[in-house]
Amino acid sequence: MKSDRIKTLALALVVVAGMACVAVLVRQIDRLRPPEDPNAADESLYLNGKTARRISLGFNGLAADWYWMRSLQYIGRKLVNDNDVPIDNLGLHDLKLLAPLLDTATTLDPEFLDPYEYAAVVLPAIDVDQAIRITQKGIDANPNAWRLYHQLGYIYWQQKNYAAASDIYGRGAQIPGAPPWMEAMKAKMVADGGSRATAREIYTRMYEQSTDEKVRDMARKRLLQLDSLEQRDSLRKLFAAYQARAGRCPTSWKELDSVFRALRVPLDASGAPLDPSGVPYVLRAGACEVDLDPKSEIPMK
Amino acid sequence: MRQGRFWRITAIARNAFREAVRDRVLYNLVLFVLMLTGASIFIGELSGGQERKVIVDLGLSAMLLFGAFIAIFVGVGLVYKEIERRTIYAVFSKPVGRGEFLVGKYLGLCITLLVNVLVMGVGVSLALLYVSGGWDPLIPTIWPAVLLIYLELMLLTAIALLFSSFSSPALSALLTFMVFIIGHFSADLKSLAVSMGSTGARWLFTGLYYLLPNLANYSFITPAAHGRAPAAGFVIATALYAFIYITVILAAATLIFSRRNFK
Repeated sequence: MKSDRIKTLALALVVVAGMACVAVLVRQIDRLRPPEDPNAADESLYLNGKTARRISLGFNGLAADWYWMRSLQYIGRKLVNDNDVPIDNLGLHDLKLLAPLLDTATTLDPEFLDPYEYAAVVLPAIDVDQAIRITQKGIDANPNAWRLYHQLGYIYWQQKNYAAASDIYGRGAQIPGAPPWMEAMKAKMVADGGSRATAREIYTRMYEQSTDEKVRDMARKRLLQLDSLEQRDSLRKLFAAYQARAGRCPTSWKELDSVFRALRVPLDASGAPLDPSGVPYVLRAGACEVDLDPKSEIPMK
Repeated sequence: MRQGRFWRITAIARNAFREAVRDRVLYNLVLFVLMLTGASIFIGELSGGQERKVIVDLGLSAMLLFGAFIAIFVGVGLVYKEIERRTIYAVFSKPVGRGEFLVGKYLGLCITLLVNVLVMGVGVSLALLYVSGGWDPLIPTIWPAVLLIYLELMLLTAIALLFSSFSSPALSALLTFMVFIIGHFSADLKSLAVSMGSTGARWLFTGLYYLLPNLANYSFITPAAHGRAPAAGFVIATALYAFIYITVILAAATLIFSRRNFK
């Protein structure tokens, strides 16, 4: 009886100690392993969407989820040190695998709408033709999803192809259940495509309609950027008035303090006006110009 | 006599179910629950707000996969184990027909699978309740998909039983698994038949398309994850197809098994 207990205890000890040794060894092996090829993460996909769908044996929905999560991880890994960049401005991040990943996810599950949204928002800065192709594929597979028309219209608007954007918004507006602003966007694109008012309308709708947190955050930042552009235009007008009065550009915010107070402009402790994200603007002394602080979350571009 | 046959089949089915429980077949539910619990808690961070879709896809796919493994690996052993342990002599020394024995064994495993899919379906529903923080409209739409999965598993069990009535467990498992794969490629068989140049090949693939079980009809996981339920007519037609197919397979299995010599 006693020997049985000792045997059980010894075996349990072997299991625990053995697992601890294995964990230590894994850490050691990780340290000794040669560094991974940085290009390995960008190797082409082994399977295209159609083949993946064919061999998925009815598990295509799960496979689509896996490719979708892989797309998110892929973007996340590339942005690990650059989290503040809005996701519609990732052209410099070498995301060449993103289009095939989103394409495969949407081929595996053509009704899965979120990858199309990502294709419309993230891809134009990387490969606009792929962005249009994947979003159009989404419209072909889901002709009643008006959100996809809005997203394709957004791509054309970004490309300054206002006629195509207007046409897409017009087609989307015909879909039962499409909101009335789709019809308004159709007219706006033709009459006023390049204006800030149109941009504001697009990003407001995107912020309202999207269920994706990153897309909503991007739209929020773009709306802040539009506010900031208008604020900076107003500041430049104040600089011009000051220059006309004093014969030179202001060298510090203090010189405009009385004007800011009269206009009830929100200021920080040093008297610098705050941008819409609450960070003080930077005055280019003597140049009648104002810049965003690099610490501000408002995108520069 | 007819009532006697019913009770004999019921007794064999009940024993087959008990045996599966004793063999800890239902332990896979523990793994399923752990997987679903983990997914419910962590998948939100990974899926970009798509946790409900992922839970339905993951839960129903696991239901099909675990069920297919049970149908194949337990199904092929249903008859073989009785022969190997020589308990089949004791069974047939009683007034039990070979067909009754096969049908009883088949129903026993079907009951095991029914318990399995019901518990898993409840698990997926609870996971949806958890991630949605209340009622989720996807909950009612997953149950028709669960029914279709169960029908597919019933078909697969019958096929496993058919193969095991004349071959070894390893070969039966391999053949059943191949039917599972080919059954999901039925659309390709049809398009192959259309695109083939020679008449013989066209006939072959058309024949295979109609003869092999069309398991792709039972894949309704992806639409269920989008909140779409199959039409009642579709469910009735696929259920009818499954019952006719199962009847044919069990009849064929009985035919082969009744000629088998156990000496």
